[in-house]
Amino acid sequence: MPVVSESLPLRRVAARTRLDFWFDAAILVGYTVAYSYGFTGVVIHEWLGIALGVALLLHITLHWDWVVRTTGRLLRPRGPDKLIWLVNLALLFAMTLCVASGILISRVALPELRISLPLDDPFWDRAHTLTAEVTLGLVPVHVALRWRWIAGVARRVFARRPR
Amino acid sequence: MRFLRQLAAVTAVVAVVVLIGVAWHHFAPGSFGSQGGTGPHRFVVRGQPATAVHRGVKVLPGVELNSGGTSGIPPIQLGDLLEPVNLAVLWNTAWIEAAVIAAVVIVDAGLRKRRRAWRGPSR
Repeated sequence: MPVVSESLPLRRVAARTRLDFWFDAAILVGYTVAYSYGFTGVVIHEWLGIALGVALLLHITLHWDWVVRTTGRLLRPRGPDKLIWLVNLALLFAMTLCVASGILISRVALPELRISLPLDDPFWDRAHTLTAEVTLGLVPVHVALRWRWIAGVARRVFARRPR
Repeated sequence: MRFLRQLAAVTAVVAVVVLIGVAWHHFAPGSFGSQGGTGPHRFVVRGQPATAVHRGVKVLPGVELNSGGTSGIPPIQLGDLLEPVNLAVLWNTAWIEAAVIAAVVIVDAGLRKRRRAWRGPSR
Protein backbone atom coordinates (compact mmCIF):
# COMPACT_ATOMS: atom_id res chain seq x y z
CA MET A 1 0.00 0.00 0.00
CA PRO A 2 1.24 3.50 -0.71
CA VAL A 3 2.57 5.54 2.13
CA VAL A 4 0.99 8.88 2.95
CA SER A 5 3.48 11.55 2.10
CA GLU A 6 4.73 13.34 5.22
CA SER A 7 5.20 16.57 3.30
CA LEU A 8 1.47 16.93 2.67
CA PRO A 9 -0.53 19.15 4.98
CA LEU A 10 -2.47 17.21 7.60
CA ARG A 11 -5.85 17.33 5.90
CA ARG A 12 -4.79 16.82 2.29
CA VAL A 13 -4.87 13.26 1.10
CA ALA A 14 -3.56 12.32 -2.32
CA ALA A 15 -6.27 11.21 -4.75
CA ARG A 16 -4.63 7.81 -5.16
CA THR A 17 -4.47 7.29 -1.38
CA ARG A 18 -8.12 8.30 -1.09
CA LEU A 19 -9.02 5.84 -3.87
CA ASP A 20 -7.11 3.04 -2.12
CA PHE A 21 -8.76 3.83 1.21
CA TRP A 22 -12.36 3.87 -0.04
CA PHE A 23 -11.94 1.03 -2.52
CA ASP A 24 -10.37 -1.22 0.14
CA ALA A 25 -13.10 -0.25 2.62
CA ALA A 26 -15.75 -1.16 0.04
CA ILE A 27 -14.08 -4.52 -0.58
CA LEU A 28 -14.00 -5.24 3.16
CA VAL A 29 -17.68 -4.37 3.57
CA GLY A 30 -18.58 -6.36 0.45
CA TYR A 31 -16.61 -9.36 1.69
CA THR A 32 -18.27 -9.21 5.12
CA VAL A 33 -21.74 -9.10 3.56
CA ALA A 34 -20.94 -11.83 1.01
CA TYR A 35 -19.60 -14.12 3.73
CA SER A 36 -22.83 -13.71 5.70
CA TYR A 37 -24.77 -16.08 3.48
CA GLY A 38 -27.54 -16.51 6.03
CA PHE A 39 -28.21 -12.77 5.76
CA THR A 40 -27.85 -12.25 2.00
CA GLY A 41 -29.41 -15.42 0.62
CA VAL A 42 -28.03 -17.22 -2.40
CA VAL A 43 -28.73 -14.58 -5.09
CA ILE A 44 -26.88 -11.67 -3.49
CA HIS A 45 -24.19 -14.03 -2.18
CA GLU A 46 -23.35 -15.25 -5.67
CA TRP A 47 -23.47 -11.92 -7.50
CA LEU A 48 -21.55 -10.18 -4.73
CA GLY A 49 -18.98 -12.98 -4.80
CA ILE A 50 -18.45 -12.51 -8.54
CA ALA A 51 -18.18 -8.73 -8.06
CA LEU A 52 -15.63 -9.34 -5.30
CA GLY A 53 -13.61 -11.49 -7.69
CA VAL A 54 -13.40 -8.56 -10.15
CA ALA A 55 -12.70 -6.10 -7.31
CA LEU A 56 -9.85 -8.28 -6.06
CA LEU A 57 -8.26 -8.34 -9.52
CA LEU A 58 -8.35 -4.52 -9.47
CA HIS A 59 -7.12 -4.41 -5.85
CA ILE A 60 -4.05 -6.51 -6.63
CA THR A 61 -3.44 -4.55 -9.84
CA LEU A 62 -3.50 -1.26 -7.90
CA HIS A 63 -0.89 -2.71 -5.51
CA TRP A 64 1.15 -4.63 -8.10
CA ASP A 65 4.15 -2.34 -7.63
CA TRP A 66 4.24 -3.32 -3.94
CA VAL A 67 4.01 -7.01 -4.87
CA VAL A 68 6.94 -6.76 -7.31
CA ARG A 69 9.05 -4.61 -4.96
CA THR A 70 8.47 -6.82 -1.90
CA THR A 71 8.97 -10.08 -3.81
CA GLY A 72 12.33 -8.74 -5.01
CA ARG A 73 13.34 -8.01 -1.41
CA LEU A 74 12.35 -11.41 -0.02
CA LEU A 75 15.86 -12.84 -0.10
CA ARG A 76 17.28 -10.03 2.00
CA PRO A 77 17.88 -11.16 5.57
CA ARG A 78 15.77 -8.42 7.17
CA GLY A 79 13.07 -7.57 4.70
CA PRO A 80 10.41 -5.53 6.46
CA ASP A 81 7.31 -6.94 4.81
CA LYS A 82 7.95 -10.70 4.82
CA LEU A 83 5.05 -11.55 7.12
CA ILE A 84 2.67 -9.33 5.18
CA TRP A 85 3.87 -10.88 1.91
CA LEU A 86 3.22 -14.40 3.25
CA VAL A 87 -0.25 -13.49 4.55
CA ASN A 88 -1.07 -11.83 1.23
CA LEU A 89 0.10 -14.88 -0.74
CA ALA A 90 -2.03 -17.21 1.40
CA LEU A 91 -4.97 -14.82 1.00
CA LEU A 92 -4.47 -14.72 -2.78
CA PHE A 93 -4.67 -18.52 -2.92
CA ALA A 94 -7.64 -18.79 -0.55
CA MET A 95 -9.65 -15.96 -2.09
CA THR A 96 -9.01 -17.02 -5.69
CA LEU A 97 -9.98 -20.63 -4.98
CA CYS A 98 -13.01 -19.46 -2.98
CA VAL A 99 -14.32 -17.31 -5.84
CA ALA A 100 -13.45 -19.93 -8.48
CA SER A 101 -15.12 -22.78 -6.57
CA GLY A 102 -18.08 -20.50 -5.83
CA ILE A 103 -18.51 -19.89 -9.57
CA LEU A 104 -18.26 -23.63 -10.24
CA ILE A 105 -21.01 -24.48 -7.73
CA SER A 106 -23.18 -21.47 -8.62
CA ARG A 107 -26.91 -22.22 -8.61
CA VAL A 108 -28.24 -18.81 -9.61
CA ALA A 109 -25.67 -16.51 -11.24
CA LEU A 110 -24.33 -18.92 -13.85
CA PRO A 111 -27.75 -20.22 -14.95
CA GLU A 112 -28.82 -16.55 -15.14
CA LEU A 113 -25.95 -15.96 -17.58
CA ARG A 114 -27.05 -19.09 -19.46
CA ILE A 115 -23.85 -20.90 -18.56
CA SER A 116 -24.18 -24.45 -17.35
CA LEU A 117 -21.32 -26.44 -15.95
CA PRO A 118 -21.99 -30.17 -15.75
CA LEU A 119 -20.45 -30.39 -12.30
CA ASP A 120 -21.81 -32.67 -9.66
CA ASP A 121 -18.75 -32.97 -7.52
CA PRO A 122 -18.76 -32.37 -3.76
CA PHE A 123 -15.05 -31.46 -4.01
CA TRP A 124 -15.86 -27.89 -5.09
CA ASP A 125 -18.55 -27.54 -2.40
CA ARG A 126 -16.04 -28.47 0.26
CA ALA A 127 -13.26 -26.44 -1.31
CA HIS A 128 -15.58 -23.41 -1.23
CA THR A 129 -16.40 -23.93 2.45
CA LEU A 130 -12.78 -24.51 3.44
CA THR A 131 -11.34 -21.57 1.50
CA ALA A 132 -14.14 -19.28 2.73
CA GLU A 133 -13.27 -20.14 6.33
CA VAL A 134 -9.57 -19.56 5.64
CA THR A 135 -10.34 -16.14 4.16
CA LEU A 136 -12.36 -15.20 7.25
CA GLY A 137 -9.19 -15.75 9.27
CA LEU A 138 -6.84 -14.06 6.80
CA VAL A 139 -8.83 -10.99 5.69
CA PRO A 140 -8.81 -9.36 9.15
CA VAL A 141 -5.11 -10.17 9.55
CA HIS A 142 -4.46 -8.62 6.11
CA VAL A 143 -6.31 -5.48 7.26
CA ALA A 144 -4.78 -5.38 10.73
CA LEU A 145 -1.19 -5.62 9.47
CA ARG A 146 -1.82 -2.24 7.78
CA TRP A 147 -3.56 -0.63 10.75
CA ARG A 148 -1.04 2.21 11.00
CA TRP A 149 -1.62 3.16 7.34
CA ILE A 150 -5.39 2.87 7.79
CA ALA A 151 -5.37 4.92 10.99
CA GLY A 152 -3.15 7.58 9.39
CA VAL A 153 -5.29 7.97 6.27
CA ALA A 154 -8.58 7.76 8.21
CA ARG A 155 -7.40 10.57 10.49
CA ARG A 156 -6.78 12.75 7.44
CA VAL A 157 -9.88 11.72 5.50
CA PHE A 158 -12.22 12.31 8.43
CA ALA A 159 -10.45 15.40 9.76
CA ARG A 160 -12.81 18.38 10.01
CA ARG A 161 -12.03 21.23 7.68
CA PRO A 162 -11.26 24.52 9.43
CA ARG A 163 -14.15 27.00 9.24
CA MET B 1 -1.23 1.19 -20.67
CA ARG B 2 0.80 0.45 -17.56
CA PHE B 3 -2.38 -0.41 -15.67
CA LEU B 4 -3.43 -2.85 -18.40
CA ARG B 5 -0.02 -4.51 -18.34
CA GLN B 6 -0.27 -4.93 -14.58
CA LEU B 7 -3.86 -6.21 -14.86
CA ALA B 8 -2.68 -8.81 -17.38
CA ALA B 9 0.08 -9.90 -14.99
CA VAL B 10 -2.41 -10.20 -12.10
CA THR B 11 -4.84 -12.15 -14.29
CA ALA B 12 -2.04 -14.54 -15.22
CA VAL B 13 -1.16 -15.08 -11.54
CA VAL B 14 -4.83 -15.70 -10.68
CA ALA B 15 -5.12 -18.14 -13.61
CA VAL B 16 -2.11 -20.07 -12.25
CA VAL B 17 -3.80 -20.31 -8.83
CA VAL B 18 -7.02 -21.56 -10.45
CA LEU B 19 -5.01 -24.14 -12.40
CA ILE B 20 -3.42 -25.29 -9.14
CA GLY B 21 -6.96 -25.73 -7.76
CA VAL B 22 -8.01 -27.73 -10.82
CA ALA B 23 -4.86 -29.87 -10.52
CA TRP B 24 -5.65 -30.44 -6.84
CA HIS B 25 -9.11 -31.65 -7.83
CA HIS B 26 -7.66 -33.85 -10.57
CA PHE B 27 -4.91 -35.52 -8.56
CA ALA B 28 -6.53 -35.61 -5.11
CA PRO B 29 -10.30 -35.48 -5.55
CA GLY B 30 -10.86 -37.08 -2.16
CA SER B 31 -8.83 -34.47 -0.25
CA PHE B 32 -11.79 -33.44 1.87
CA GLY B 33 -13.04 -36.99 2.45
CA SER B 34 -15.73 -38.73 0.47
CA GLN B 35 -18.28 -38.74 3.29
CA GLY B 36 -19.51 -36.26 5.79
CA GLY B 37 -19.77 -32.74 4.42
CA THR B 38 -22.93 -31.68 2.71
CA GLY B 39 -21.61 -28.60 0.99
CA PRO B 40 -21.28 -25.04 2.17
CA HIS B 41 -23.69 -22.92 4.10
CA ARG B 42 -26.45 -25.35 4.90
CA PHE B 43 -28.93 -24.04 7.44
CA VAL B 44 -31.59 -25.79 9.40
CA VAL B 45 -34.85 -24.08 8.61
CA ARG B 46 -37.60 -24.59 11.16
CA GLY B 47 -41.22 -24.55 10.12
CA GLN B 48 -42.74 -25.00 6.71
CA PRO B 49 -42.51 -22.82 3.67
CA ALA B 50 -45.67 -20.78 3.23
CA THR B 51 -48.02 -22.01 0.54
CA ALA B 52 -50.71 -19.40 1.14
CA VAL B 53 -51.21 -16.17 3.03
CA HIS B 54 -53.92 -15.12 5.42
CA ARG B 55 -56.58 -12.75 4.21
CA GLY B 56 -55.39 -9.17 4.45
CA VAL B 57 -51.69 -10.07 4.41
CA LYS B 58 -49.78 -8.37 1.61
CA VAL B 59 -47.13 -10.30 -0.31
CA LEU B 60 -44.02 -8.20 -0.82
CA PRO B 61 -42.87 -7.65 -4.40
CA GLY B 62 -40.53 -10.45 -5.41
CA VAL B 63 -41.83 -12.96 -2.87
CA GLU B 64 -42.96 -16.23 -4.39
CA LEU B 65 -45.10 -18.64 -2.51
CA ASN B 66 -44.10 -22.28 -2.57
CA SER B 67 -46.32 -23.90 -5.10
CA GLY B 68 -45.56 -27.29 -3.63
CA GLY B 69 -43.29 -28.59 -6.38
CA THR B 70 -42.32 -32.23 -6.50
CA SER B 71 -38.68 -31.57 -5.54
CA GLY B 72 -39.64 -30.52 -2.03
CA ILE B 73 -37.25 -27.58 -2.32
CA PRO B 74 -38.99 -24.22 -1.99
CA PRO B 75 -38.28 -21.78 -4.83
CA ILE B 76 -35.83 -18.97 -4.20
CA GLN B 77 -37.68 -16.21 -2.41
CA LEU B 78 -36.07 -12.94 -3.35
CA GLY B 79 -38.31 -11.05 -0.95
CA ASP B 80 -36.82 -12.94 1.98
CA LEU B 81 -33.34 -11.55 1.37
CA LEU B 82 -31.68 -9.08 3.71
CA GLU B 83 -34.29 -9.58 6.39
CA PRO B 84 -33.46 -7.69 9.61
CA VAL B 85 -34.11 -10.90 11.52
CA ASN B 86 -31.02 -12.41 9.84
CA LEU B 87 -28.77 -9.48 10.73
CA ALA B 88 -27.29 -11.63 13.50
CA VAL B 89 -25.40 -13.57 10.82
CA LEU B 90 -23.82 -10.35 9.53
CA TRP B 91 -22.97 -9.14 13.04
CA ASN B 92 -21.38 -12.51 13.75
CA THR B 93 -19.07 -12.19 10.74
CA ALA B 94 -18.24 -8.58 11.60
CA TRP B 95 -17.58 -9.54 15.21
CA ILE B 96 -15.11 -12.27 14.20
CA GLU B 97 -13.29 -9.84 11.88
CA ALA B 98 -13.18 -7.14 14.55
CA ALA B 99 -11.84 -9.59 17.14
CA VAL B 100 -9.03 -10.79 14.85
CA ILE B 101 -8.16 -7.22 13.83
CA ALA B 102 -8.05 -6.12 17.48
CA ALA B 103 -5.85 -9.08 18.45
CA VAL B 104 -3.35 -8.45 15.62
CA VAL B 105 -3.24 -4.70 16.30
CA ILE B 106 -2.59 -5.27 20.03
CA VAL B 107 0.18 -7.80 19.34
CA ASP B 108 1.73 -5.57 16.65
CA ALA B 109 1.61 -2.47 18.86
CA GLY B 110 3.15 -4.44 21.75
CA LEU B 111 5.96 -5.78 19.57
CA ARG B 112 6.73 -2.31 18.19
CA LYS B 113 6.81 -0.85 21.69
CA ARG B 114 9.17 -3.56 22.89
CA ARG B 115 11.43 -3.11 19.87
CA ARG B 116 11.56 0.66 20.46
CA ALA B 117 12.36 0.15 24.13
CA TRP B 118 15.11 -2.32 23.25
CA ARG B 119 16.65 0.05 20.68
CA GLY B 120 16.30 3.10 22.92
CA PRO B 121 19.21 2.64 25.37
CA SER B 122 21.71 1.78 22.63
CA ARG B 123 21.26 5.18 20.94
